[in-house]
Amino acid sequence: MSRLVVRDVSIAFGGVVALDGVDLELAAGEIRGVIGPNGAGKTTLLNVICGINPPDRGAIALDGVPLVGEKPSAIAAHGLGRTFQATQLFRGMTVLENVMTGLHGRLTESVLGAAFRSRRLREAEAAAAARARDVLAFVGMQAFEGRLATELSFGQQRVIEIARALISEPRVLLLDEPAVGLSLNRITEVDALMRRIRDERGVSILLVEHVIRLVMDVSDRITVLSYGRKIAEGGPDEIRADPAVIEAYLGRDLHAGSPAP
Amino acid sequence: MPALAGRRNVVVLAVLALAALPAMANPYILYVANIALIYAILAVGLNLLLGYAGQFAFANAALFGIGAYATGLFQVRLGLSFWAAFPAAVVFTTLVGLVVALPALRLSGLYLALVTLAFAQLTQWVMLNWERVTFGAGGFRVPPLTFGALAPALGLYYLTLLLTGLLVAAAWNTVRSGVGRALVAVRDSEVAAESLAIDLARHKAIAFSLSALYAGVAGGLYSALLSFVAPEGFDLFQMVVQFSMVVVGGLGSVWGSVLGAGLLVGLQEALRAFKGAQEIAFGLLLMACIIFLPDGLISLVKRRARGWDEPLRAPDRPA
Amino acid sequence: MLPYLVVSGLTTGSLYALVAMGLVVVYKATSVVNFAHGELFMVGGFLAYTFHVLLKLGYVASLLLAVIAALLLGLVTERIAYRPLMRAPAISLVLAAVGFSFVLKGAARQIWGGLGDYMPFPPVVATPAITLGSIILVPQQLVVLAGALICMGLFTAFFTSTRAGKMLQATAENAKAARLAGIRVERVYAFTWAAGAATGAAAAVLMAPLTFVYPDVGSPLLVKAFAAAVLGGFGSLPGAVLGGFSIGLIENLAGGYLHTSFTDISAFLVIMVVLIVRPTGFFGPRAVRRI
Repeated sequence: MSRLVVRDVSIAFGGVVALDGVDLELAAGEIRGVIGPNGAGKTTLLNVICGINPPDRGAIALDGVPLVGEKPSAIAAHGLGRTFQATQLFRGMTVLENVMTGLHGRLTESVLGAAFRSRRLREAEAAAAARARDVLAFVGMQAFEGRLATELSFGQQRVIEIARALISEPRVLLLDEPAVGLSLNRITEVDALMRRIRDERGVSILLVEHVIRLVMDVSDRITVLSYGRKIAEGGPDEIRADPAVIEAYLGRDLHAGSPAP
Repeated sequence: MPALAGRRNVVVLAVLALAALPAMANPYILYVANIALIYAILAVGLNLLLGYAGQFAFANAALFGIGAYATGLFQVRLGLSFWAAFPAAVVFTTLVGLVVALPALRLSGLYLALVTLAFAQLTQWVMLNWERVTFGAGGFRVPPLTFGALAPALGLYYLTLLLTGLLVAAAWNTVRSGVGRALVAVRDSEVAAESLAIDLARHKAIAFSLSALYAGVAGGLYSALLSFVAPEGFDLFQMVVQFSMVVVGGLGSVWGSVLGAGLLVGLQEALRAFKGAQEIAFGLLLMACIIFLPDGLISLVKRRARGWDEPLRAPDRPA
Repeated sequence: MLPYLVVSGLTTGSLYALVAMGLVVVYKATSVVNFAHGELFMVGGFLAYTFHVLLKLGYVASLLLAVIAALLLGLVTERIAYRPLMRAPAISLVLAAVGFSFVLKGAARQIWGGLGDYMPFPPVVATPAITLGSIILVPQQLVVLAGALICMGLFTAFFTSTRAGKMLQATAENAKAARLAGIRVERVYAFTWAAGAATGAAAAVLMAPLTFVYPDVGSPLLVKAFAAAVLGGFGSLPGAVLGGFSIGLIENLAGGYLHTSFTDISAFLVIMVVLIVRPTGFFGPRAVRRI
């Protein structure tokens, strides 16, 4: 059964069509890779799904709940998590605080309750910290909880960002180029982490990625975008053999899977 | 083990000293201490907006003025007692703060600064020109406050101390909660905050109304302390004084703001007779701290004494 | 009354336009709004006062000296309130500029403030008003308007035709590419601040004979220049000029037909309305939200 359904979604920026009638269905427990040349509309697709850029046309639903027209915060509260191409950790927070912030949608505290530090609030805070530590342990970063987010390496920041998105137990996770700029070892770790997120936490993942090797390895199915249109969809082997995909990448060797610039 | 010079001990000691102050200080010192407490409220409220939520607004001096005017005018024009006028004025100022927040929901950075600067000038204009209500440039006297058997100056001092304690504690609790984290999230990355189900509009409105509430309380107390309200105390220089207190103490630090308010009220008193010198001193302090000590004086305290850690950090700057 | 209001509106508007141009040029090149711009204007006025009234130099000589002094002051501003904070968050930059503006204001109060609160500045031309049918023209206003237009022309010509102006445009367009092309970007920044301050001072010297010079003149003027720049979409020089003239007209008409006190708040209201209704101004493109 489909978790996330994107139907006939289009969006243009100042006359330039970024997405043109894109359809996509993400099944429960699926890792879906989204690839395409630069400017194909991959990140735009994520921004449209999470509500930052509402589509001009089309429908999006998460477990049957329509998302178009909702604020990004409301969409996130429906169970949609995401990470960003340029990591967006909160620079004034420690790692633990960053991850705890991910629980915001689940905290029900009032401003008044916060100001008077009610017992209920203190208990909720303690529980939030415990959950954040659990998630940090899950991604293998528990040793870093007291560090400032900005002190971490690029790759570590990406993992923290994933943990921050995971803590609220989203049903769908959108990952925007989690492997960009990472070493091969790190990419393997990200690969394994994604599988564990799917298998142990039951989260469906929509993965936008330039590192073709990672996409081919981890994805159950792959969607290929080019100039805002979906030009192919299928399992990794089908995609590798698809002439339209090869044409779109124009000579880029899919089999070698060299990271794109 | 808590450190001897840690925050808890220092705060307890400071509160005890402030409570005992009337027994040993002359009326002038008591007056200055009262002003410092009022500015502590202002600076802490402004820091919630500027340092934590990262909303750069010029409205706080005007809101301070609105709190003072409303407290005074509700008494003089509507015949309310201070005890009715003051809370009503705080509510009124908070509502005005919410209205100021409306543009903030659509605007950010530079444009927010401009709209709030225009709002501040507009407020001055209303105070000066709506003479039928505000008494214009000359200002107006507020009826003296009585506290039963307690001397008025003493009563007001303890009322201020009580409210300062409450509001500083409330701010400190807020920044240690999910609300505080959400404010900092809005400051550090709006898109990331939204992706974590943090409603931007709601949290900007929270930050603006909190700072307005603090400014309203400070304004009401200020009008009672001076028994007089006039436009000139609430101009752009007032804004610079408050900015300086927050920045000198430490952006994004509740205790820094308390420290900054205490120190800078002292400086202001020392230069009371010289407007030009005050402007130069506050201007220079503001610049120097931003350039050389971006985390404020509180960062020196944190470096030297244990037990001063705070959750959440100042707005980011290059290492 | 209408023709008179229009002429005075255009006259003050031309000065707002000039001040706004200085603001916009700095913004275009450095993405920073100089919150000390109003005080640079104020200091320019006091310098002209010093040269013209106290030292009895000619008006044009005083204007040139004040502009040169303002150029230097602009360089100083850049050096102490911008350069050390180039990579700091916007809040720090604005706060530093606000701090610097109060240093200037306090200094002006200390240096010139003892002379009296409002310094009268003698008129440049003493010719009586000219009557053309029902239209009354005050020669002083025409001189100011002409002066402002000449300054705007010079400023625009400088940016579009000279090498330095082109370097500045290139830097504003893309600082990285400009650096690769061998342009010393830091020097361009410094120069921009100087040019911005100079236009502010020129406006102050032109305005001085129409009004008074006093230490607090800067912030209301800054707000008016903001209003002009905001109307023009903040980032467009022609926009700033049109915005300046519009603000001048609006406040004179509002002052003439509604109530004199409205002269002072028209600009604030324009800022609030424009930013809330159409934050990108008249000329700016509609913003698209991107990450």
